[in-house]
Amino acid sequence: MRPGAAAAAILASAALAGCAASPPLADGLAGHAPRSIELSATPFYPQEEYHCGPAALATILRASGVDVAPETLAPEVFIPGRRGSLQVELVGAARRHGRLPYVLATAADELVAELADGRPVLVLQNLGAARLPVWHYAVLIGYDAERNVALLRSGREQRLEMRWQRFAATWHRGGRFAFTALRPGEIPAHADATRYVEAVAGLEAAGKRRAAAAAYDAAIVRWPEEAHAWLGRGNMAYADGDRVAAADAYLRVILLSPTDAAARGNLAQVLADARCLAESRRQIERAAVLAAGSPLAATIEDMRKKIGALPEPEAACALENRYWPD
Amino acid sequence: MRIERFRRACVALVSLSLLSLGMQAPAMAGVIGTSEAMAAARGGETRGTIDAALARDDVRAKLAELGVDASAIEGRLAALSETELQMLADQIEQAPAGGDALAVIGIVFVVLMILEFTGVIDIFKKA
Repeated sequence: MRPGAAAAAILASAALAGCAASPPLADGLAGHAPRSIELSATPFYPQEEYHCGPAALATILRASGVDVAPETLAPEVFIPGRRGSLQVELVGAARRHGRLPYVLATAADELVAELADGRPVLVLQNLGAARLPVWHYAVLIGYDAERNVALLRSGREQRLEMRWQRFAATWHRGGRFAFTALRPGEIPAHADATRYVEAVAGLEAAGKRRAAAAAYDAAIVRWPEEAHAWLGRGNMAYADGDRVAAADAYLRVILLSPTDAAARGNLAQVLADARCLAESRRQIERAAVLAAGSPLAATIEDMRKKIGALPEPEAACALENRYWPD
Repeated sequence: MRIERFRRACVALVSLSLLSLGMQAPAMAGVIGTSEAMAAARGGETRGTIDAALARDDVRAKLAELGVDASAIEGRLAALSETELQMLADQIEQAPAGGDALAVIGIVFVVLMILEFTGVIDIFKKA
């Protein structure tokens, strides 16, 4: 095939893919969903060259009550050599400003549900073709089923109306990436327990302890059986120096999920800190057995060695008369 | 003599602050982080043990290479989980980078127009 013809074939197939059958909004909208939404109070930051990432991020952060400008966010997310910003870094920057970035599942009704809860959604669009991508971040602020449009804050357009099928196709080609910025303790409309706790764990890893603690508490209220939410609560208590609360939370993880090696290891660590060395050693041995062959094996082995090398404490165990799991 | 002592103090102070700059404070000392525990529980999805330090160094170098200001890099790395760092280390050059659409769209449009006029494609006539 001549190069020109090849390029034409790619472009033509891509152009066709762009008009692929995506139903009008009204057909896909759940019965209980509002027919139209517009979060018109959402702020607007016209983007500078290549800076749609910082502009879109500032938009959703500001809508969630964080006073931050795109110029502040640009050094946190923009990559000059890529002339743009990457998804994970937008997520990371949201954490830096104390918000919980919750990446939505890939269904359009999650977008609608977030809007119905009053939260604008940051979306990645591919405005080009699958093989000739033009990546763009915009903020979905609403839709109108009667007129079959998506409403966006996008680039330099304060209120962009895009035909729903076109929006859905560009979002689809962008990998259906979308996230909202939640206030700590806020739970998304279609929350999935694991996905939510994983998002909070990201906040914890970024060192945002207070926000993470509030979010774990909310997760425990909503899903009391979710073991990793308790692990998170234990870790936040441990970081605050509250050994009793930490030990209680780790114990709860073990009751919910008896083979969880991380909770055993962390419990052993709290016990060691509280000078309950015999019990600590018993727990770390159990953790080592449970972690064998898992990615945690090396970390737990490390903890086991450290706990094994501790000198016999002179003072009494500070967590006496409590129940510890077998 | 006094100047010499002052200089030494300065050197010590500067080296200390540089050292602390380079050090990445762990999210939490002593216990296993929730993110790490969840990644392990997911099992197969993480490729065995993530070497977090290695991934971090890798991303640090790549961000600098791609023109990110050195003073901004540590803060950016600190905002990411180990899994995300690993992902960036693998894909920083290929992952979608949302930027400015208008200029590139123009080029695509021009290409389409040329192809249209030369009769290679006819997508506009249908519209």
